[in-house]
Amino acid sequence: MKASDRIVDAIDLETYFYCESEEEARGLAEQLTAELGLPHGDIVFLEHRGWGARVRLRAYMHHPGDHYRWMERKEGQA
Amino acid sequence: MKKVLLAPLDPVHDNAVKLLKRRLSEAGYDAVAMPPGTTAEEVIEKALQEKPVAILISRTLGYKVGEILGHLVDLAEAAGLRETTRLGVGGMALTQEAGAELGFDACFVGELKMPEILAFLEGKPVEAARLEVTAARAKPQVTEGFTYRFNDSKIEALLDTITAQALHWAADKTSAGIERAKVRAEMIAEGVGRRDSEPTPTRQALLERYISLCDSEIQAFYREGRLPSGVRWLEKSEIENMPDFSRPHPDFGSLRHGDQKTLFFSQYGTGCPVMDVMHIKTMEAWGIDGVLHFDPSWGAQREGLIEGYLTHEHDGTILTLENLSFIHQYFEPATLWNVRGHRGLNTPETQVLGRAAGADLFKINIPYGATGGGTDPERLTADGIYSVMLASQYGIPFDIPGNDELSGVPPHKTFAGILVMMMLGLKLGARPIPKPLLCYSPYMTISGQMDDNMVDMNVAKLLVWKQILDTPVWPGEPVGFMTHSSDRVQSAMATASHAALASAVGVTAATIASSDEAYSKGPISVPARVDTLRAVKDRLRFDGSLKLTPSARQQDLMAQIQAGITEVLEQAAVRGDFVASIYEGVFGSQDDGLYPGRTGRGTVIRRA
Repeated sequence: MKASDRIVDAIDLETYFYCESEEEARGLAEQLTAELGLPHGDIVFLEHRGWGARVRLRAYMHHPGDHYRWMERKEGQA
Repeated sequence: MKKVLLAPLDPVHDNAVKLLKRRLSEAGYDAVAMPPGTTAEEVIEKALQEKPVAILISRTLGYKVGEILGHLVDLAEAAGLRETTRLGVGGMALTQEAGAELGFDACFVGELKMPEILAFLEGKPVEAARLEVTAARAKPQVTEGFTYRFNDSKIEALLDTITAQALHWAADKTSAGIERAKVRAEMIAEGVGRRDSEPTPTRQALLERYISLCDSEIQAFYREGRLPSGVRWLEKSEIENMPDFSRPHPDFGSLRHGDQKTLFFSQYGTGCPVMDVMHIKTMEAWGIDGVLHFDPSWGAQREGLIEGYLTHEHDGTILTLENLSFIHQYFEPATLWNVRGHRGLNTPETQVLGRAAGADLFKINIPYGATGGGTDPERLTADGIYSVMLASQYGIPFDIPGNDELSGVPPHKTFAGILVMMMLGLKLGARPIPKPLLCYSPYMTISGQMDDNMVDMNVAKLLVWKQILDTPVWPGEPVGFMTHSSDRVQSAMATASHAALASAVGVTAATIASSDEAYSKGPISVPARVDTLRAVKDRLRFDGSLKLTPSARQQDLMAQIQAGITEVLEQAAVRGDFVASIYEGVFGSQDDGLYPGRTGRGTVIRRA
């Protein structure tokens, strides 16, 4: 079982981009989720001021109603 | 009266329209507001009837935003409105770029900024209005308006006695630190204070004199070019390829709300001047008023400072004229700058370098630097008094952090030491600023004085100053120190709570942390800074103009602190020797967790 399988629902990535505009920050955020291989990455929060943007990115590993991999028993477990 | 049409192209949200209607009416406009759910066609029809100078559209929802707003612009074109009526748009769903692409004359994002709206309605460039606001902001004066008159004559008399003895003692004393400061000041005055200065005979002679006053590690830097462990030169390309921070930008605003007055400062010192600049520029963008330069702890323990553009991967940015000047050139005009130099063997020279680089404030505290700061009391008394003289000569106020409380010292002892520094400053013509520690300190933990709440004691620690003298008060350093955990939410909230308390009490300034304050395995991150600034701003918005009136319990605590201060000062006055008082623990003893510093012991020289 991968560590990411044990994430109950979402993984959030908090960061700050050096960039000129909110538009550029959005582009960078989308690019970063792709670079990191995060599935269905979304921007939860983004605020650009002056020289950069504070960003919270999110990828859901398990949506409510999914088959939850964190419930699967490890080998040898009863 | 000019007419403005306000329309929410949104099924339910019209709060922005209602707010704007009120603000425009107050500004003398006839603002006509349409209800939520209005269609683009209805807006154009209304505009043709009312003939407004401008239509301001609000859109909160992101769903189909481009389609709906683009349709409105097309209809306005078709109706011939664009000749006479300007189109503006704002709301959560918009960005500056998106508004321009859709064909609007202006797009307003973020908080409502009336100067921008009014400029737009008057046909003036919105960007210019933004920049006017930025240019109009003046650099605040932290000590302005305070008389420093004492309200407690007993404390005043005791301080007079203690400082008279300390000044008399220092009158015939010097040290390598004081002499280096004099040489460095002369180098700067002669225009040869930088590493890349012409190697003129004047520089060579002064540098030789300087090197002779340094310890062997610093001498090796100058004679053999040997850098301290882990330190490297900042490369030319790193200096030259800095981002362009000079480009015009909208006013960043402050953390304050309404009539709030407290200025907010934050510390920096990532180890690298380039990273420091990014941190400072980010903090400015999110509303900080000032920053404090923190140097590496080893810089306080060596005789002498190195020079040049230098970086390293440890806490604290190396204190050189080049590094300080490099960082300072990127500041916004109104940003205040404090350069710390209160604790080590290079305290006087730090004031010289700070002044040359443009510092607005210094930091000097002998009792703290000579105990918690690790420097020998005799040495720091000589160097500290000389530093206060420099602060006076330069006309630069100095603050006095009470962080010895972090070792377990009760506030009244820390405050007594701060008051001695204040009286030394006042006698020498300087403008001192007390910095009481505002946090759940070890003393509070041990004594149980904050078992119920963290408000009463902190309020008492802030308000007791007004009972003693008329002075600015600047809690730090940072507020919430040791109250933070490494969880960002808890940390930001702890800072915001302390900052709001300080603001409600009406202090002049406060130093705030980042939400990484309690994280010790690496440098503070930029996101951690932004999170705390956002938390403080929101908390200040929540409190508004609420003022805190001291309760009976808080007044009782203030009286206890004031009595305790008096008792400590009486002991110091009776002892008749300020330096000995520090060695012997009058301002904080070994039982309190405070030990006399050892660095620089036996290095004070009696002048012939």
